[in-house]
Amino acid sequence: MERMKEFIRQLASQIIPSGYERNALPDLLRSLEDIADETHIDVLGNGIVKKAGHGPHVAISAHIDEPGVMVIHVEDNGYLRILSVGDLQPGRLIGRHVQFTGGSIGIVGVESEVRAENVTYDHLYVDLGCQTAAEANALTPIGTCGVALEPVVELEGDCLAGRALDNRAGCAAAIEAFRALAGEGRRVSLVLAAQSTVGARGAKTAAFALEPDVVFVIDAAPAGDMPKATRMELSLGQGPAIKILDGTIVIPLAMKDLLRKAADEMKINVQYEVWPNGKSDSGAYHLSQSGVLVGSISYPARYVGGISTVVNINDVQAVKDLVIAAAKAYQ
Amino acid sequence: MLLKQLTEAMGPSGFEDEVRNLLREQLSDKVDHMYTDVLGNLFAEKHSDKTGPRVMLDAHMDEVGMMIVHAEDNGLLRFRPLGGIDPRVLVSKPVRIGSEKRYGVIGSKPIHLQTMEERKKPLRMDQLYIDIGAQSKDEALAHIQLGDVAVFATEYAEIGERAAKAKSFDDRVGCSIVAEAMERQWQIPVTGVFTVQEEIGLRGATAAAYRINPDIAIAVEGTVCFDVVDAPSHGQSTVLGKGPALTVQDGQTLADARFLEFLIATAEKHNIPWQLRRVKGGSNDFGAIHKVREGIVGGAISVPVRYIHAPAQIISLDDYQASLQLVCAAITEIQEGRWNA
Repeated sequence: MERMKEFIRQLASQIIPSGYERNALPDLLRSLEDIADETHIDVLGNGIVKKAGHGPHVAISAHIDEPGVMVIHVEDNGYLRILSVGDLQPGRLIGRHVQFTGGSIGIVGVESEVRAENVTYDHLYVDLGCQTAAEANALTPIGTCGVALEPVVELEGDCLAGRALDNRAGCAAAIEAFRALAGEGRRVSLVLAAQSTVGARGAKTAAFALEPDVVFVIDAAPAGDMPKATRMELSLGQGPAIKILDGTIVIPLAMKDLLRKAADEMKINVQYEVWPNGKSDSGAYHLSQSGVLVGSISYPARYVGGISTVVNINDVQAVKDLVIAAAKAYQ
Repeated sequence: MLLKQLTEAMGPSGFEDEVRNLLREQLSDKVDHMYTDVLGNLFAEKHSDKTGPRVMLDAHMDEVGMMIVHAEDNGLLRFRPLGGIDPRVLVSKPVRIGSEKRYGVIGSKPIHLQTMEERKKPLRMDQLYIDIGAQSKDEALAHIQLGDVAVFATEYAEIGERAAKAKSFDDRVGCSIVAEAMERQWQIPVTGVFTVQEEIGLRGATAAAYRINPDIAIAVEGTVCFDVVDAPSHGQSTVLGKGPALTVQDGQTLADARFLEFLIATAEKHNIPWQLRRVKGGSNDFGAIHKVREGIVGGAISVPVRYIHAPAQIISLDDYQASLQLVCAAITEIQEGRWNA
């Protein structure tokens, strides 16, 4: 468990707003070369890792991107104007520190005349401490992306809290599952999917390229075990959530049964995820070419969509174990 | 002049025939092979026997328009938008309807008869109608069929200092630029693709890119420009006359940083002005193209268009020329091997 925790923390420390995956992936892919036949980054920025072997072609996918902000204008006096990359509520950013991919750090301010409930990105600016546009442009030219800083910390009960745990925790589980299956000589591919938070764009092209027999998608699903939380029958620490449906997919019943049976045999306690408004990469895989069988295994996370999410390491660990067991059970 | 002919042609989404015919006529003896597909996309292939990366140039033929959906007893026609139209720009505008291009006027209650409340509220689409001068439903339906489409009646004219006004610069500027680029000789295979149904969901481009499966795709678009009084600089998107606009992020695309840098370096090298499109809203065909198959690399080059999607739009002819230059310079650089993914 300590190893998994450290791995998640290491992955979550990287700044990977959607569209920036290509720059962040090479080191990670290099670390998999010992077990993979082939690693590459495709046009959309997906990190794709392949291993030949026996059995059906199993793909394991976890998106590696996170929502963030993008510099869209530099004011004469050096302030930056920003847009979101993916879905990040503008109000949440006020007063927070953001870090850009080049390393620069700034604080997000808001124009004074706007009321809190009416704040849009047009009202926000980032203060880098620069005095001139030239100075700011050199550090963060238009198009530079950044994220709200919220380093990962440890909470009680084997929980982690912080930025990008959604979905670096999933990436950690996916990478470990890939290692285990490849190590057993199975035919398996790993997709560290790009541009998920802007609409499952990477998953679409990865699915087309890989044509797998089955895909297991690992992602966060919102927990509902907080005071007066939006109703959601998922609790932290209660084990992996087998997705029943989200806004992009209805999981075939046979797949649900396969996952439940695999969990029973492994004595893994599972929960069921019904998330009608949820967005995931699952649908993009499912609808590729003539249709691809998808199983989705989620780890519950509190405050999904916020800047800091909370996950339980034991859930992530169990997600990894369940994906390995399900991949082996699939014929 | 091709741009004038193209902007004055009728071509709402799904009804691009007139635009397609103009382009086919323009290019028939200048490319090697032309054909259409099921959706109505027009393909113009050139140098397919040559080796080197296969380039797809894309522009969409369709424009935002209206479809007649109902005739009232008194002969007035109800309509629905095809594509994104702000109902506030429609009142009192002349339109042309159907294959006969019959004139009509989008009518509303005169100011004399409006209450103070009515004067304050913009009219909704369902409160508007098109008046073709018919006196009855039968008379109206003798000339117009339900399902006929309508477009704005604006004629093309050059105005002011190197500017032009017309309807549908979005995306007839792209059609004209791609046609001009296709008239030239290249050392690599280039396909000009004139797509359908962009305004209602990038539909034509999806099928076209799948068919062509190019190594590199460039969408040429007319894009949002609001560099006017009281617009803060971060709300302008683009500035008229400052050159072709390159996308960093829009509703469907996060720019591929490698190709964006390539386009900027190409513009700098060839002394072509350029700017970045500084807004997230809106999209263009490249948003669909880059997600096709295993992913297609490329980007968009856009001409700033003031009052886009409205009856009368304005472009800078310098921006038009600079955008054409950038498209051609990009192909030149690609054929000389300077694009390496």
